[in-house]
Amino acid sequence: MTTDLAIEAENLARSYRTRTGWLRPQRKTIEAVRGVHLAVGRGELFGLLGPNGAGKTTTIKMLNTLLLPTSGTARILGYDVARDALEVRRRIGYVFGGDRGLYERLSALDNLRYFAELYGVEPREQLPRIQELLETVGLSGREKERVEGYSRGMRQKLHIARGLLHRPQVLFLDEPSIGVDPAAARELRRVVADLVAGGTTVLLTTHYMAEADELCDRIAVIASGTLRAEGTPAELKDRVRKLDVLEVEVHDAVGPEHLQRLRDTAGIEQATVETSGTVDVVTVHARPSHGTHAAVLAALADLRTGKVTTREPTLEDAYLSIINGTTTGSA
Amino acid sequence: MTTVSHASRASRALRLAFHGGGLSYRALFNWTTPPMFIGTLLVGPLFQIFFFVHVGRSLHVADDRFYLLGNAVLATSMPCVYGAIMAVANERRFGTLGAVLLSPRSRGLIWGGRVLPYAVNGLAVMTFMMLVGALVLGLTLPPSTLLGLAQVFVVAAMSCALFGLALGALAVRIRDVYVISNAAFTLLILFSGANLPPESMPGWMNAIGSFLPLHHAIEALRALFAGASFGEVWSALVLEVAVALGYAALAYGLLRFFEWRSRANAALDVM
Repeated sequence: MTTDLAIEAENLARSYRTRTGWLRPQRKTIEAVRGVHLAVGRGELFGLLGPNGAGKTTTIKMLNTLLLPTSGTARILGYDVARDALEVRRRIGYVFGGDRGLYERLSALDNLRYFAELYGVEPREQLPRIQELLETVGLSGREKERVEGYSRGMRQKLHIARGLLHRPQVLFLDEPSIGVDPAAARELRRVVADLVAGGTTVLLTTHYMAEADELCDRIAVIASGTLRAEGTPAELKDRVRKLDVLEVEVHDAVGPEHLQRLRDTAGIEQATVETSGTVDVVTVHARPSHGTHAAVLAALADLRTGKVTTREPTLEDAYLSIINGTTTGSA
Repeated sequence: MTTVSHASRASRALRLAFHGGGLSYRALFNWTTPPMFIGTLLVGPLFQIFFFVHVGRSLHVADDRFYLLGNAVLATSMPCVYGAIMAVANERRFGTLGAVLLSPRSRGLIWGGRVLPYAVNGLAVMTFMMLVGALVLGLTLPPSTLLGLAQVFVVAAMSCALFGLALGALAVRIRDVYVISNAAFTLLILFSGANLPPESMPGWMNAIGSFLPLHHAIEALRALFAGASFGEVWSALVLEVAVALGYAALAYGLLRFFEWRSRANAALDVM
């Protein structure tokens, strides 16, 4: 089967039915993914960004055959995820973040040996392939230790090695760098970049905007189960480039009333606050105008303000702007 | 060329069943450490033999041999029932079930291979019980019975492990499957005929027991030691094999069904 697209999804949707209580059961249907369209080319690194509960993992589970779509279709390298699950599984790898998902009592080597069997790696290729992957992810020399003694970063590397055992053409990385220290996260990014350079198609979900900005060829932002925007990192940033981004250091606690006052101010699209050490940093996205600076300070007049800076919009600004509904649509 | 490819496919299948099964045993069986293995699989069942021998002697229900043969076979239920359940249920504990279900390989080989180490373990436990029990109770094991004994043990271990796998399949759907395993273990003590002479059991108990593992194996073993003919022993063993195949089919069907349900209904927290 030949197609230029590695991942295709048309109107992909998935709902869950939940039930609570026994005597008077309460039934609820949750629409986790609502009509997602995706088209990811071969060899592309595609990012799927979104807040917790946005539908990222559900989308990935439908694409990797662990879940059947409620409606819509999806194909991996031309194979339908519902009808040709075995063909899809032969061609994909799945790496997820977190501490679980490995056999704690086994060594890394035995974990990989077992999954090499499960994923159909030829017996004579298993050990050389495992050694190669241990080298790639930086676990050589530690492979005979039990996984229960591994750090989060080492586990994550082992997850990646497992996902690559059978040389998948398409790799799903579901928050692979969650909880990993910066040095290990950088190593992971290097491994992912090398994979893509080698022709592997990667679909990555992450909460780290810098990671997505550095790695992804294209990004889709998903929220409440629907795609809100799609484009290259530069295209997404361009959406908010027309806005000024002001950061104001405040030496008192910023309350919701201050943010509301800012949002009610003419010309201000978005206002958020983040605590950084002993100061609160208020970030304001505003339409360019001569009075913005003064209007922002006026809204925070009852607080002790410090340094005010204007900076270039980042992917995070674009992401927040899309999630909060300030900008939508394709780039 | 075709012969080579068939041979290669067969060797890969055997490798998945045996090598994969062995690795999964080490990964998922909770009682592989020496204290757990000795305490749970050897010492506990041995005391169970002595307990029932004592009850038999006190109440004049049956002789020592009756309880030794029955409970030696029953001892296989510890590694086989609990172990085969752990072979599935612990996948949930480690969060590895999703990674296993993503395998494109035969479910029969993956899950069937997992049963084999527990059957071998059960075989070892039964042998230990028989040897130590006979030694302590001063009973003899005539050489003429050894071949038949080995046959009964192999069939009993496989049958019990497949019963365990069928219960373990429920773990794909049910979180607290060990409640079921505890009940199943007690069920075997009661209905297998290990501790109650079948002739003193009501018909309905015998009927239930005949659909459970070990019932016919214990019957075969007692027939063997009573000097019955090879044909008589094997007629009981064939029934035990039929029970084993029934549980194998049930286990496979349940595992496939729950896997499909987990995809269709998102019924499983696979990751």
